[in-house]
Order: sequence, then structure tokens, then C-alpha cells
Amino acid sequence: MERIAIVDGIRTPFAKAWTVFEDIPAQKLGALCVRELLERTGLAPGLVDEVIFGCVAQPMEASNIARVISLNSGIPERKRAYTVSRNCASGLESVTSAWEKIITGMDEIVIAGGTESMSNIPFFFGKEITKTLTRLGKAKTAWEKLRLIAAVRPAQLKPVLGLVEGLTDPVCGLNMGSTAEVLAKELGITRQEQDDFALRSHQRAVAARAKLKEEIVPVITGRKFDAVLEDDNGPRENLTPEALAKMKPYFDRAAGTVTVGNSCQVTDGACCMLVMKEEKAKAMGYEPLGYIRSYAYEGLDPSRMGLGPAYAIPAALKKAGLALKDIGVTEINEAFAAQVLASVRMLASKKFAEENLGLSAAVGELDPDKLNVNGSGISVGHPVGATGSRLILTVLKEMKRRGLQYGLASLCVGGGQGGAVVLER
Amino acid sequence: MGALNLKIENEIAVLAFDLPGSRVNTLDAAVMGELSAAIDEVAAKKPKALVITSLKDGVFIAGADIKGFERIKNEAEAETLAREGQEIYNKLAALEMPTVAGINGACLGGGFELALACKYRLAGTGSKVKIGLPEVSLGILPGWGGTQRLPRLAGLSRALELILTARIISGKDALKYGIVDRLYPETLLAAGAVDFALEVLAGRLPAKKKKRSLLQAFLEDTPPGRALMFSQAAKKVLEKTKGFYPAPLKALEVIKATCGGEIAAGLELERKGLAALAVTEVSRNLVKVFFLNEKFKKFPWVDGSVKPLPVDKCAVAGAGIMGGGIAQLVSSRDIPARVKDINYEALKQALRTADGIYRYALKKRKMNKYQAAHKMGLISPTLTYSGFKNAGLVIEAVVEDLGIKQKVFQELEENTSQHTILASNTSSLTISAIGEKVRDKSRLAGMHFFNPVNRMPLVEVIKTEHTSPETLATVIAFARKLGKIVVVTKDSPGFLVNRILVPYLNEAALLVEEGMPIERIDAVAKAFGMPMGPIELIDEVGIDVGAKVAKILEKAYGDRMRVSGLLEATKHAGLLGKKKNKGFYIYGDGEKKVNPGIYGLVQAAVKREIPDETALKRMIYGMINEAGRCLEEKVVDDAQAVDIAMIMGTGFPPFRGGLWQYAEDTGLANIVIDLAALEKEFGAPRFSPCAYLSRR
Repeated sequence: MERIAIVDGIRTPFAKAWTVFEDIPAQKLGALCVRELLERTGLAPGLVDEVIFGCVAQPMEASNIARVISLNSGIPERKRAYTVSRNCASGLESVTSAWEKIITGMDEIVIAGGTESMSNIPFFFGKEITKTLTRLGKAKTAWEKLRLIAAVRPAQLKPVLGLVEGLTDPVCGLNMGSTAEVLAKELGITRQEQDDFALRSHQRAVAARAKLKEEIVPVITGRKFDAVLEDDNGPRENLTPEALAKMKPYFDRAAGTVTVGNSCQVTDGACCMLVMKEEKAKAMGYEPLGYIRSYAYEGLDPSRMGLGPAYAIPAALKKAGLALKDIGVTEINEAFAAQVLASVRMLASKKFAEENLGLSAAVGELDPDKLNVNGSGISVGHPVGATGSRLILTVLKEMKRRGLQYGLASLCVGGGQGGAVVLER
Repeated sequence: MGALNLKIENEIAVLAFDLPGSRVNTLDAAVMGELSAAIDEVAAKKPKALVITSLKDGVFIAGADIKGFERIKNEAEAETLAREGQEIYNKLAALEMPTVAGINGACLGGGFELALACKYRLAGTGSKVKIGLPEVSLGILPGWGGTQRLPRLAGLSRALELILTARIISGKDALKYGIVDRLYPETLLAAGAVDFALEVLAGRLPAKKKKRSLLQAFLEDTPPGRALMFSQAAKKVLEKTKGFYPAPLKALEVIKATCGGEIAAGLELERKGLAALAVTEVSRNLVKVFFLNEKFKKFPWVDGSVKPLPVDKCAVAGAGIMGGGIAQLVSSRDIPARVKDINYEALKQALRTADGIYRYALKKRKMNKYQAAHKMGLISPTLTYSGFKNAGLVIEAVVEDLGIKQKVFQELEENTSQHTILASNTSSLTISAIGEKVRDKSRLAGMHFFNPVNRMPLVEVIKTEHTSPETLATVIAFARKLGKIVVVTKDSPGFLVNRILVPYLNEAALLVEEGMPIERIDAVAKAFGMPMGPIELIDEVGIDVGAKVAKILEKAYGDRMRVSGLLEATKHAGLLGKKKNKGFYIYGDGEKKVNPGIYGLVQAAVKREIPDETALKRMIYGMINEAGRCLEEKVVDDAQAVDIAMIMGTGFPPFRGGLWQYAEDTGLANIVIDLAALEKEFGAPRFSPCAYLSRR
């Protein structure tokens, strides 16, 4: 089969939610990225067949956000665009969707990416008050209106937080953090392990600033355009083990180990990449950043969704005909330290492999020195719809720097899925 | 074949305007004759209703034929022309059946007055529908019943606003103001007009409700209210015209004297008002400027066989205020603009500039927030040349420094494709010097925008001896796409506009040196009609920038352009003008006062009392003298290019018809005599009349 190339990619800096990007909607972050990608690759916008974007919380005012991004970045009206959601893997799904579209000949050149502005996820009116308001609009007499208003109870005025709703599993009812607690408790992952992992994530991200600049387009921000963000603002320079230790468990206050400090950040950001066949890329004079070797998505118990990588990675490796030891560098989204640690442990577990994957041996050891070498969700941040794309981009850039042949990007997915992509150069 | 086509079908008469051989419908003597006959025919045949439409795309009737108007020799002729039109429209208004105008596009001046003489007006919903009475912008007033019928239809205050400011409105606004009765999509307008007439005949039309506020009723219906409204209107007009334009005042006078009276008496006063205005020099000049504008909008600077290249993306090298302004303008036409500078501060400035313009457009409801966000998003800032390779055009707008510009152009040649056209937005350096080190000089040209870029309608396009016809055609087509008037000039320092303007500004500074009070100098220029005084303009431009340009021109043209010592001294004193709140004036809290410190900086050896008239001649004749040299050297071939360039590039008063028109009106011989006298009086060879002037 022909190889699908990722020609180049770019992303905004990742900004902690409600900081410098709080007034920039997700569609604008996305459009900014696509515009910059077009500029850097020198691609004529008219050659783009399709724009595919992942986004978890699509803004109300930008439904099919990919189309909004496509038009606002100057891609002609006659071109296509659609939005995908596989929750936290939406930015991965957009790239693998591009693969499918190109392999099947539906598209030739695709810009795939992800965008999320978690700052802009709205508060909602509750169901009861919404009903009252709708009926008020239809009410004809003053008496009827009065009756409707009189029936309103103060508790109904409490807003529903879109962000909290979005991070709660709609089937098992657990918050994402609580699913991490489930894993930590079942596997006996200690608070110390999680905090150590979080600290290392920050240290690595801080150390990688210069490297990460290669994949970032600086963004001039502010109402008066008086600030510029050149780097991710999540990584903390002076984070201490003590500071992490001081934090209270957030999801299980009585007996929990998952804190805000060892969980991913709530983040705004976007990322996109140019995808086409290897042959096409070379004919156009591009030197691709890398290629998609294989990918896989797997389903699992929603209350243990953090183990997604433990399921998806072996599936993707199998399709690639590779073993975990062949992989030079791996990125896992780091929704929670417990989630990554649990996945790593399960990959190394023969029992897990036998019971869940139908394999006779463990998938393999994931060397900590080859995992999330530039930090990840805990430090860099996790704008849910964008992260999948960011992982692919970061892995490919790191493979290039290190001269590696194979890399791996994987995520756990809210709702109980895992996604993984094997990349090669 | 005539311009009018009258058909009566099922007892509904449809009169369609379609002027042969023209893109638009206008009303000349022949068309008016046909119209008169058609109305007579309708009156005789008595159909149930009359519908008036146009077969032109996007044009109902663009107005009276201005060429015919230009030929009028005296008041009597003008009055006759007005009276004849009024009589035809009176006949139309007197038809007993329902009359309906279907406005599918431009409906201006006499065209709108025709629609006003109908009983009903319908309009299309599209953006090509433009309704208004722009007569005052040609120095006249609506003379075919506009001053009478519009107030009756739309109310006095709305009519005053539309007539006195020449404001053009959309169909939607016209509906809101009660000027049109219903809107239809253009595709359904012609059929809709007939249906509408049938509805009227069937008596199914709901009665019009006049929605007026109490205040409006007071202003329009009570004598003290009206008095207040008229005095306010007069004040506003004077504020805007500064007394140079008699037409709006005359229109106001006519409306004031006739409102509430009989229409016949009103029409008489209206045509007398028009007649008085038609022969004024102001009107003559404004009409000339109208035609200048028409001419230069499409002037064929390049052979028609040379096709401009498409510019799908424009890169701007050098951000800041000019770069930001250019990027904004480019993006406003939905073309991506890649803006490069060497630091974020400049890029921030560029985005701020562009954003400010879009915010203003939002505030003025010229566009909605979605359009603004889309256009703003097409501007992408960068510190590298990435994205330049596939730009069709690069406009360089870095600091006015030959060395830096040369370096930038070398970089541009390396970082663009061989098809990319490289244009400099230099204001004074020559393109040949800037591009000296560029290997392929055929793709170099100048593209000189004026500040503020979005507001100033002129672009000087500079053609060097190497500029290829294709490059030139592309740059011209692109400037026009950006909505600009193009004047192509030779590649000599200062090109046309700045070369003429700098002596004027310099002269003002010399006058200060000689002891003339700053505010008096500015007042003299403003009394002449300049939009701002020369000293104010220097502050506006920035003294550092101005001095730099002046210095470049001094180097190029020698003694006659020697920069006033005061300019240099002011720059060295750090008084950089409005941007730093301190220059020749001190700026604060919305007002400005003369900076007294200026007078002590440099003083001329001899101080003297200079009369206003002498000061004005020194400044204006200085410009004319330099314009003569430009014509002599063929910087432009055509004196009309000087006129349009100075009006569009510097705001030279349009009612004077342009700089060279003013010189002709004054008499070139008189100017030569005065210049010679100035040379003698002030011992200044710079006043020596140039050969071009002396020969004439």
C-alpha cells in the first residue's frame, strides 16, 4: 500500500485555559494554524481538497468547526471540510480520517488537525429553566407569563457547567478524574509515583522549550495585540515535589491520590498538519516529516478509560508488524499520571495480555526515557480536541531530531476507548 | 432604437429603460424626450397601472447625463433644463393610475427624482441598490423635484440629511425611511412590481403607517421645531464644507423657503436655486473632478493586450502602521496578506492598525463581526520570509532608508519566486536605487500608498525603465482591486505627489522661521481650502518622517528644495509631532495649541511681516512651480494626472478642480509674474519660475 505522508505540521502554543487565549474562540485558533501551515508549506489553498478537524466541545456559533476554519483560513469555498469527534482522540481521528480519505482516493490533499478552546466552553441554563424560558417566549397573555415566572425555583437558576458535563462519562457517570482514581486504586499506584511522574513531565517540558518552538507558531494576543505567546505557558519552571505533595486529592477527597497537580491541565490550543500520499508529496517537492505506518482504535470499559493505550498500542503495532521495542519514542496524552502509569504497567503485564488481548506474552516494556520525552498533558496541557494531532507532530519532530525510524502516539479516550498511531520516517 | 420600451399587457403598462450601447441608464435630452412621449402615451391609453423598470443589470437610472450638464453656458439654460425635467416629472406624478418604480440598482439624482414622481417605489434587496440624491457633491442641487418630493415622502429631517450630505442608501434603509414601499429580490422585482400594482388596484395594500417620534413631530411640524432643525442643519453643513461649497446651503435655503408650501412654487424656487449653482466655478470644478475620477479609474496606462497576473496572496515586508494599513486593505478584499517584520513590536503594531480599522467598520456597520473576523484572520504575521515564495506580489513598507531597503530587496529576491512582483511603498527614494542589487529588474515597481492607507484613495505606481509591462499591469490592476485610483509616474525622487507637496510644507516651515505665527500659516492654507494646514500636516506625518523625505528630495533636487533648518531643529529637539503629542503643536485632551518653544529654535536673519496673501502664494505657487517641472520632465505626461493625484493624495480642495486647474484658472502668466516678484522680494531663487510655466 502506498504510504501516507505527513508533510509538515504546526500548532499554536498551548495556553492554560482562561489565560492569554481566553478571548480567542476555537475556530480562530484552528484557522490561525491552517493559515500558518499554508504559508510555511507554500501550498496554494486551492489545492487542499478537504479540511478535517477534531473538536470535542464545538462552539455553538461554529458548528462543523472544520468548515469555519477552512473558510477563515482562506481556503476556497468549493473545498470540503468536516469535523470529527472521538472525544480526547478527535485530533488523532482527524489525521487517521485523512488517511482513510486519501487511501480510498476520495481526497488527495488534506489538512487535518484539532482545536479546542476550553476557556470558551459555556455555562448552560438547566433543563427546567430552559423549558420555562421557551414557554415564556410562546406565552400569549400576561397571566400565563406570570404563572410561568412564579413557578421558577431558585435552584433552577444554577448554571450547568459545560466543561464538567463534558468531562463526565455519560454511561458510567464517573468524572474522568474518578476513572483515574479507579485505576490508581485497582493497580495500587501511589500518590508518590503519580507526583514524581507529574514533576518529570514539567521538568521535561521546561527543558524542551527550544525544541518545541520548532512546532509552534507564536500568537500575538490581547485586545490591543500587546502580547505575544511564543511557548506553551503550562510547564512550570520551579515546580517542587513539596508543592505537588501539598495538593489535596480532587476527585476523591477521602482516600484519593489524583490531584490537580498530577492531572492534565485544562488548555486552549490548536494543531494541524498537511497530509497526502508520499508520491504526491515528493512530486510537489516536499520532504515529508514522516509517514503513518498504522493505527488502531479499541474500546474498553468506560470506567477504566485511562487504559486505552494498553489496548490500542498492541493493536496498532500488530497492524504495523512491529514490536514495542522497535519504537524509538512514544507520546501518551497524560490525561492523568495514574492513567499513563497504569497503561505502562498493563503493557508490561502478561496477565493483562492474556486476559484482554488474547496474547500469550506481555506487549512489552515502555522505557520511561522514551516516553513523553518533552512532557505532555500534565505540563504542556491537554486541549482535548487538539492533543491527538499535537502528539503526532511532537513525535515526528522528535523522531527527526533523534534520527529514529519508528514512533508512537497514543491516547486514552473518554467514554472508554484508546487510540494509537505508529509513525515512521 | 430608443432607450425606452413601453409595453401594455393586460392593461398594465411597463416602461423599461435600456439605453442602447451603455452599461448604465442615464437621462440625457433624447431620453427625456422619449420619456415625455411615453408618459403622454400612457396618459392617452389609460392603462390600469404603470410600472417603470430598468433592463440594466444593477442599474435603475444612474442619474442625469452629466456631460450634457457640463455644456450649460448660463443660468437661463440651466433653468430651462431643470424646468423641462420638472414638467415631465409633473406629468408622471399627475397620472391618475397607480405608478410603480421598480428600483433594481443604482437610482441616483434624476433617476431617484423620477422614482419620487411615482406613487410607489419598490426596491431590490441586493447590494447594488443605491438610492440617493448626490447632486450637492457636483456643486448643484436636485433640480427635478427632489427638494420637493423627498421631504413630502420621507419627512423633512430625513430629506435634509440625504440631500445635504449626498448620502446614498440601500434598499433596506430606504424601506426603513419610508422611501420605498416594499423590497423584492432582484430576480422577482419586475414581476413583483406588476403584482404590486395589481394589489394596489385591488385595494389590498395596507395603509402606510407613519412612525414618528414626538421629537421628530416637533421638529418637523412646529415652527420653532423647524427653525431649530434648519439652524442645526446649516451649522452641520458649515462645519463640513467650511463655507467652500455653496450647494448644500442653497439646497437648505430652497427647502426652508418652500417646505409646507405649494409644490409648483417650490419647484420654481428649486430650479432657480439649481440655475444659480450650475454656473458657479465650484460646480464646474466639481464636475471636472467627477470626470477626472471617471477617467483615472480606468485609464489605460498599459496596452490592453498585456494581461495582469493574478495576485492570490500579497506579502507585505515591513509591518508597522503603513504595513498594517496595506495588509488590512489587502485582507479587506478577501486576499490573504502575509506580513513580515524583524520584531514582534512592529507586527503588533500592524495587527493593531488593521484591527482598529475593522473595529471602526464594525462600529459603522459597514460589515458584521463574522466578516471582520474572517478578513482579520487572513492577515498572518511572521518574523521570517516563510510564505513569501508563492505570493503574487510583495509590497515592501520598511523604514525609508536606502541601505535597509536595498538589503530587503535583495532578501526578497532570494525568498520569492521568479514570478513574484516586488513593489516598494517608498515615498521618496527611487525604485531604481532601491532595486539596484536585484538581478531581475523587470519585476520591480513602486506602489506608493498614502497614510491612512484605507482612507486615501490614491496609489502612485512607479514605473522604472526596466519595469515589464506585465509587472506594471499587475500592480495597476491590484491597486484598482484595492479600490484605489492609480497614477503612474516616472521613477524620480519623490515621484509626483511628495515632490510637489514637500516644497509646500518646507515653505510653511520657512515662513515660521521668518516669524509668521504657526496658526496663521495653517489658517491661510485652510482658508484656501486645504483640509488641514501645512504645519498641522507636518505634525500628522511626523517630523522625523517628513524631514527624512525632505532631505532625500534636497539631495536630489538641490538648493530649491533645501530643507528648512527649523524642521531639522525640531526633529533634533525630539518634537516629533502628533504621535508623540508634541511637535509644532502640543496635543492634549482632544485639543491642541501652538508649541511656543518652536519659535526660538531657528530664526531667519531677517524677520518681516508677511501678509496672508504673500504667504499663500509662496506655498501654493511653490507647488505649481514644482508641478510645472514635473510636467516638463514628464514625471507624468498629463496635467490632469497632477490634478487627480493632488486631490486624492493630499486632499487638495476638489472645488478648485485640482492644482493645475487652479493654476490655469489663475492664469499661468500671472503666476509667472508673481513667482518672479517673490524671487526678487525674498531673494530666493527657488521661486524662479520654471521653464514649463514661463513658456506658456
